[in-house]
Amino acid sequence: MLLDKGKSIGFILIFSLVLLIFIALPFFIDLFYQTFLTELFVWMLFAISFDLIFGYTGLLSFGQALFFGLGSYTVTISILKMGLNTELALLLAIVIPILFAWFVGYFSVKLSGIHFVIITIIFALIGNIIGETWTAFTGGSDGLTFSPPPFRLGLFKINLMDIKGNYYFVLALVALSYLFLRRMVQSPLGKVFISIRENEDRARLIGYNVQRYKLISFLIAGGLSGLAGGLYSLTLKYAAASYLHWSISGHAVVYTIVGGMGTLMGPVLGAGIVMSLEHYLINFLQATDLVVGIVLVVMVLMAPKGLVGLIQSKFKRKEASG
Amino acid sequence: MISNLAVAVLNAVVWGMIMALIALGLNMIFGLLHIINMAHGALYMLGAVVAWYLIEVTGNFWIALVVAPLCVGIVGIAMERGLLRKIEDKPITTIICTFGIMLALQQLVLMIFGGSPRRIAAPIPYRFPLFQLQYPLMRVVIAFISILVMAGLWFFLRKTKYGLWMRAVVQDREMAVGLGIPVNKVYMWTFVLGSVLAAFSGVLAAPIVSVEFMMGREVLIMAFIIVIVGGMGNLEGSVIAAIMISMIQGIGSLFFPPSIATVFALTFMIIVLLIRPQGLFGE
Repeated sequence: MLLDKGKSIGFILIFSLVLLIFIALPFFIDLFYQTFLTELFVWMLFAISFDLIFGYTGLLSFGQALFFGLGSYTVTISILKMGLNTELALLLAIVIPILFAWFVGYFSVKLSGIHFVIITIIFALIGNIIGETWTAFTGGSDGLTFSPPPFRLGLFKINLMDIKGNYYFVLALVALSYLFLRRMVQSPLGKVFISIRENEDRARLIGYNVQRYKLISFLIAGGLSGLAGGLYSLTLKYAAASYLHWSISGHAVVYTIVGGMGTLMGPVLGAGIVMSLEHYLINFLQATDLVVGIVLVVMVLMAPKGLVGLIQSKFKRKEASG
Repeated sequence: MISNLAVAVLNAVVWGMIMALIALGLNMIFGLLHIINMAHGALYMLGAVVAWYLIEVTGNFWIALVVAPLCVGIVGIAMERGLLRKIEDKPITTIICTFGIMLALQQLVLMIFGGSPRRIAAPIPYRFPLFQLQYPLMRVVIAFISILVMAGLWFFLRKTKYGLWMRAVVQDREMAVGLGIPVNKVYMWTFVLGSVLAAFSGVLAAPIVSVEFMMGREVLIMAFIIVIVGGMGNLEGSVIAAIMISMIQGIGSLFFPPSIATVFALTFMIIVLLIRPQGLFGE
């Protein structure tokens, strides 16, 4: 218990420090980097939502792109075509992906291992094809552009057309989602997810309804992926059918593997490092994914627990020798 | 109408043959090494791209058809020996690793070959009349070559020492080791054979489709569908499923838009996955 307390005090310190840095940063960097960081926050959220289903529950889902794309389209279409306000649109961007995740998850969690991987790819692919085909509703591969009205909560009002306002808005929601997920993976529910990852048969023997818990994890991950998609559209003021393609999930896979699966810090760190690397490489290399692919392969082979795993094992070695 | 139908059926058969070759490679690798090779579509693409360069240099399609798959086979050796060997017992890890290889290969080709699609001209330009329409002879030749390769593969698996070893390793790996079969070598050659098949189908498909760095992306998913519908590890099942599915798609797209036909095929596959995960033709 004491150790846990020490850990959580350490966490609060680091989390507040990082948050403070990000709050202060817009005063020192130009608009271009503010937009870059806003997008980075969105991908961090997408990566941690993927890590809940993959790193914690042990299910490799390439279907997260479906929920990301759905969230993105929900925000865009409800503001552009239905004239809803931003608050409601963003709420729907969580609810509608959860409903779809329920449908997809209901079938998918019956399968495990590679069958699960493939069925999630197929669901995302169906979504992508429908998005590409139903151009009257989705704009197809050209996509839809819109301008969101300000976000209001009581007396609080944020102008999302302002880059700095949008930055703080996304930062706040991603930070809250992080805290929510952290609380959840430490709760008894989170422990059940981990037990399913570690040994599904044992979890079933203890008496847990494994499929039900897998579905719960899938729903939460789907809802947060949807939120990430919604925030992405609010940032870019745009949505397109390509967001629904299963290879979008690949981003989350890369960030999670590089940073360290089964931790929340890992995907956040991974997204930060990989996106900065890409941003740097784009100056002299058109095909940045070449490097991303190589980094992914190297990490999978050399450090399957990612950067967080590397750091942890270094600390452990120090403790053992000192 | 009848001529449209005839062309659709013929196209479906030709495309089904090419898909069967791709799926056979994917399925052999899965059946023996238990690796889901996400880079399989990229190897197919690589075959077509290497062939494009070879044709630029030699001007001969048939040389490219033989040499390009061998080049890709070397890539296969590097992949299996250098990377996958270390994680062969972890299926999910191999999916992620081969996904990374897929990204890297696609982008490498984008860098060198460029992003715009290019065409490879059919080496046999003749057309023959089919009801009121003209049908390119090359496509029929492609289907025949595919059948020949499949027959060769069957002979290889059933009648040669290596084929016997492969089947033995699939059945019982431990026992195969005990009997002195060089299992590691069998792993490597199976992976290489799978890669060569993918590249070979890439070259065969090149005169029909256009050559570009993303051409393997949709093909990979179709190959998955075929392998699952036919049954993982069941090679004959893959061939039947390949023809069946491309028939459904081909004839379906006469009556529906092609994207809707694909959605039907995908939904069909979800149902197969849920009801018969061992495939339609498995036990």
